[in-house]
Amino acid sequence: MSKGILMVAQNSADDYVLQACLCAMSIKATNDISVSILTNDPIPDKYKDLFEHVINIPWTDSAEDENWKVQNRWKAYHVTPYNETIVMDTDMLVLQNIDSWWNFLSNYEMYFTSHVMDYRQNVINDTYYRKAFTSNKLPNVYVGIHYFKKCDFAHDFYGWLELVSNNWNLFYGHYVKENYPKRMSMDVSAAIVTKILDCESQITNAKAAFPTFTHMKPHVQGWQTVTESWQERVGVYLKPNLDLIVGNHKQDGVFHYTENNFVTNKIIKTYEEALCL
Amino acid sequence: MDKGVLTFARNNSQVDYIKQAVFLAKRVRKYLDLPTTIATDSIDYLATAYPDYEDIFDQVIELDWTNTHSLKRFYDGSISEKRLEFKNDSRCLAYDISPYDETILLDTDYIISDDTFKHCFLQELDLLLYKDAYDLANFRDYSEFEYVSDTSVDFYWATCVFFRKTKTNKIFFDLIKHIQENWSYYNAVYQINSVTYRNDHAFSVAIHIMNGYQSGNFAGYMPGKLYYTTDRDILLDLQDKRFTFLVEKQHHLGEYLAIKFENYSVHVMNKFSLERIINV
Repeated sequence: MSKGILMVAQNSADDYVLQACLCAMSIKATNDISVSILTNDPIPDKYKDLFEHVINIPWTDSAEDENWKVQNRWKAYHVTPYNETIVMDTDMLVLQNIDSWWNFLSNYEMYFTSHVMDYRQNVINDTYYRKAFTSNKLPNVYVGIHYFKKCDFAHDFYGWLELVSNNWNLFYGHYVKENYPKRMSMDVSAAIVTKILDCESQITNAKAAFPTFTHMKPHVQGWQTVTESWQERVGVYLKPNLDLIVGNHKQDGVFHYTENNFVTNKIIKTYEEALCL
Repeated sequence: MDKGVLTFARNNSQVDYIKQAVFLAKRVRKYLDLPTTIATDSIDYLATAYPDYEDIFDQVIELDWTNTHSLKRFYDGSISEKRLEFKNDSRCLAYDISPYDETILLDTDYIISDDTFKHCFLQELDLLLYKDAYDLANFRDYSEFEYVSDTSVDFYWATCVFFRKTKTNKIFFDLIKHIQENWSYYNAVYQINSVTYRNDHAFSVAIHIMNGYQSGNFAGYMPGKLYYTTDRDILLDLQDKRFTFLVEKQHHLGEYLAIKFENYSVHVMNKFSLERIINV
């Protein structure tokens, strides 16, 4: 059974391909696993070898006229070269070996994490960014990291995800009447599909400590004083051995930095040197 | 294995920590049946004020007399306050000077009223502290006791610490010394931004480092619960293990609510009202 990690990256004002390259470097530094990318944008030459497969976005580019380019993400299921796939957001760093995650995930046909952590390793209970979920009783799924096997169930799920993504105004109008999002959200769309298919218990596990990720949105870090950017509140440094320290807390697992300016030349260079690129 | 309590008592111009230590030692003997060692820079005063001190304390350890530039506001209820010297920089020596293999390190203003700490000796972990504490006022913002600052590391109380003499604990206390010696650096890096050095903060940072810069189980939890009243409250009466406090009222400066509390030990931060009770 082939398995690997797939990222969807489409550049806009932000360089998501560069983020994907950094993420791929972090994966290669800690895991022996295939990584692929779904994109129409060019990959810098020195990073091309990070990806086993560079896949063009199939059919038409549904996000062509959008600044927030999430409209093609439902295509991941249809183009993945793997039998088992973990789909990851590009603005993430994998800071540890996740072989045990694969073992756990193999028990599922699809899996979404339903809880995420702050940088102090506390489970985030704050619903600041999840009001659409709580007020509309939507399943609390995070698409940032999710898993699927090639199977009828996942095919079905992604079929519905395509339908919701392409008609999000219609579906959100029915399922997200309160705290209606300003734009299409993959988390909300996946939650709607989960609700339609009534499969929450099949694709999540509230008791599982992993897979999860550290979610660096500033309002859910347990702070009394919150700034626009989390990087204004706590220091960050990446050691040459790739230990990432945030606010004096060593990070592990998967780190979802969420802010594009986190990707500095210094961080990229540290990874390049560690991987001898 | 030698077991005992260690306490530090260094008087300033208005707070008699030695008097508190005497009070503590007597209650330690009564409720825990343990000897107490006092570490102090005022042995002459101790001998003069308490001629029977050798019966009260198991050992007396002399600390060097130093003037400190550390000042702290000491409240006596919600209205009265004084800025006084705060000599709290000896606690990092606890490991080196303790005469015991198993030590309970206590603040002098911790009023022992039960035998819960006996359980320290029956468990396997070599270092115990309180991470959580319970304010008897029950309305004050206790976020400063959750983390050492808004963005920083978990807060641990240095008020009551159990430790065994182990190589790892030696490293831990040496690390606290290092943090104390370089306090301005750690104060800044850990975003504590406190003018006054606090042992709670130094212990918390050291635990965080010993945990590999993460939350972890390097330090276990002291048995029972740590109850406290701040120096904005007043200890009005103490009959054996029955406390009467005047606890400040929320939004009513200078007004208090009387509460009774009994059968549990309490950390009484109002040193002046504690001294008045001891004097009775």
